[in-house]
Amino acid sequence: MSELVLETEKIEKIYRLGGRSIRAISDVNLKVKRGDFVSIMGPSGSGKTTLLNILGCLDRPTHGKVILDGVDVTAVPEKELYKIRRYKVGFIFQTFNLLPYLSAIENVELPMEGTGKSKGEMRERARELLKLVGLAEREDHKPLRLSAGEQQRVAIARALANKPSIVLADEPTGNLDAKTKYEIVKLLGKLNVEQGTTIVMVTHDSAIASHARRVLFLSDGKLLAKEKMGLLAKEKLVCPSCGREIGADHAFCPYCGRKIE
Amino acid sequence: MKNPLIALTGFAEKRCLKGCVYLGAFTRALKNISRRKVRTFLVVVALGFSIAIMVAIPTGVTANQQAIQSIAENFNNTITAMQEEINKTATLIECTTTPNRGMQAFRQGGFFGSINETFVDETVADAIRSINVSGLMGVKDVVPFLEKSSRENVSEAINTPFGSRTVYRPAYTIVGVCLNATVINNYSVLPTNITLGENLSEGDSGYVLISSNLTEYFQATVGDTIEIYGQPFIVKGTFESASQPRTVYMNISDAQKVTGLIGKVSRLDVYVVDASYATQVAEVIKAAYPELYVTTYQDRLENLQRMQTMYTQTLSNAEATIAQAGATATQLIIVAVAATSLIVFFVMLYSVRERTKEIGILKALGFSNWNVMSQFMLEGTLIGFIGGATGILIGSIAAPFFSSLLLPQLNLFGGTRGTRFPIQTPYANLVGLQSYSAAALTPQLIALVLGMAALLAAIGSLYPAWRASRISPIEALRYE
Repeated sequence: MSELVLETEKIEKIYRLGGRSIRAISDVNLKVKRGDFVSIMGPSGSGKTTLLNILGCLDRPTHGKVILDGVDVTAVPEKELYKIRRYKVGFIFQTFNLLPYLSAIENVELPMEGTGKSKGEMRERARELLKLVGLAEREDHKPLRLSAGEQQRVAIARALANKPSIVLADEPTGNLDAKTKYEIVKLLGKLNVEQGTTIVMVTHDSAIASHARRVLFLSDGKLLAKEKMGLLAKEKLVCPSCGREIGADHAFCPYCGRKIE
Repeated sequence: MKNPLIALTGFAEKRCLKGCVYLGAFTRALKNISRRKVRTFLVVVALGFSIAIMVAIPTGVTANQQAIQSIAENFNNTITAMQEEINKTATLIECTTTPNRGMQAFRQGGFFGSINETFVDETVADAIRSINVSGLMGVKDVVPFLEKSSRENVSEAINTPFGSRTVYRPAYTIVGVCLNATVINNYSVLPTNITLGENLSEGDSGYVLISSNLTEYFQATVGDTIEIYGQPFIVKGTFESASQPRTVYMNISDAQKVTGLIGKVSRLDVYVVDASYATQVAEVIKAAYPELYVTTYQDRLENLQRMQTMYTQTLSNAEATIAQAGATATQLIIVAVAATSLIVFFVMLYSVRERTKEIGILKALGFSNWNVMSQFMLEGTLIGFIGGATGILIGSIAAPFFSSLLLPQLNLFGGTRGTRFPIQTPYANLVGLQSYSAAALTPQLIALVLGMAALLAAIGSLYPAWRASRISPIEALRYE
């Protein structure tokens, strides 16, 4: 936890709408170390998604720099950005964004296309990932035949396909019910702890946000100075129902989903 | 793993030599095509028809151009042959009891119906032999013939514009020839190209020379005995001649005997001493024997010219129709080519619009603009390919139908539409044209059409695919 994976320098995004300028984010300085799990909290309209899009090279800041894995991606020409997205970033969306006509395993294989892997290698890696997210039995199911939680697990496996330096999750629990929410965020936590995956997650849900190692706050496009320690960084507690170790301040057990009294 | 479509469409991803972009893209393209079944079906049928036009029309036109060319050659050969024949016989006056000796072709095949055969006495020959011109002897020789139809008839189905009907015509014609030395040696009275056995010779009796197309009818060959009017004859030889229909040559005295026409002839070839006497002698014969049809060298020449004019007219009519058909075909093909590309263009444009979100996802996952573009190109090309295969199928079944529906009707005889003669006249046989030919489906044609279809589809999907590749991922992801 020493090396910086992601660093932003005073990034600012200004949208021009009909002659008016709208400042979506301004002066954001963010540092994410390898193995960190950062959640960025903020109300809707605070610029969370804009920030995440910039971090994921889907969008460019109006000013400032984004340094990903030591590379200033703001200086990478538009045509080459796809390589950063392919190899350095894994995206998890609120609406899962799986291709409906592909099976779970094909969806996971999708980002590996064009990376020089053979079909067999792709399949093997996709299987490994589906196993990791607990969907080994469901690899041939199309998204419509999976529950929302399962779909998001497939999306998480897909985000990890090319072993990205950083996983960006945009409201990953926004479309899930209360129980599933915790399963997903628990899965992200597990990946972070066990696989060392670096995760930046934006959410407006404080209970979800608190599962990270660090919780940052975004308001009106600005990152607030205060920072909260997340549950992953806190002392472990034991769930009275299932007996497993959980972090403090849980409303529900992330393992069994029971309410914590 | 090699994907055949890579080679076909010529795509090559430089940055991904051993990658599976195309396999994945190909699989996705197939899945996308097959999951919208009704749309795909409609598009493929539409493409199929426009490609079928491309298959059917040019081959129809080409086939008929070739046919017309060979007909023109036939015409020219026939005319030249007749010209030569006529030139050899400047001193010949033909006197026949039936008309149109000069147009053999028309007499056969029976569209004039059965010929009412009449005969004149042999003594007419002697009378003609003594015709004088300005006090000098005008006639050198008179060669008598007896031509008589066989007793047996054969039936034949004839196609007319009003349907098929059966007609009966004589199985063959007997030609009795005067087999004396002077005649045989000086005039061409017997066929020359003997294929088997020998020609008839001086004084032969009880022998026949049959056209080779009769060997099957008689089930006999050289040396066998055949029955004519109930009398046995030995086949001495067979001969082959394109213009000679089914004919049996024999001694004229035998012919008169078996047919019961003792002392009768049906044709007299009158040879005048000098070509300049021909007109005068012919006038005398005409005056004395109005029942004879008399033709001089001059008449035959005029007949030939009339025929030539008719042939030329027919040919130019046919050529005009073919030219018109060619022009129409060009227009149709331009429309078909444009339609193929446009159909794919609109379908792919719609598909890109419909799948904007998917494009955003692919881009977020690290697909390059080129990856996205080739995905849609591949899909369009694949649709074109399937359309091409359908087109070949439709074209191979319905090519003649397309040709006759879309091209001007072949018109050989002038006038507004169709033929004035029953189609199956010998003349039309010579012409050899009844309708547009079907396309011959060679492997080359199939490959060409599939290639064309894929290429046109690729052209049609170029812009939609390019547009897809330009879509901003954020905009696309926001799109619902």
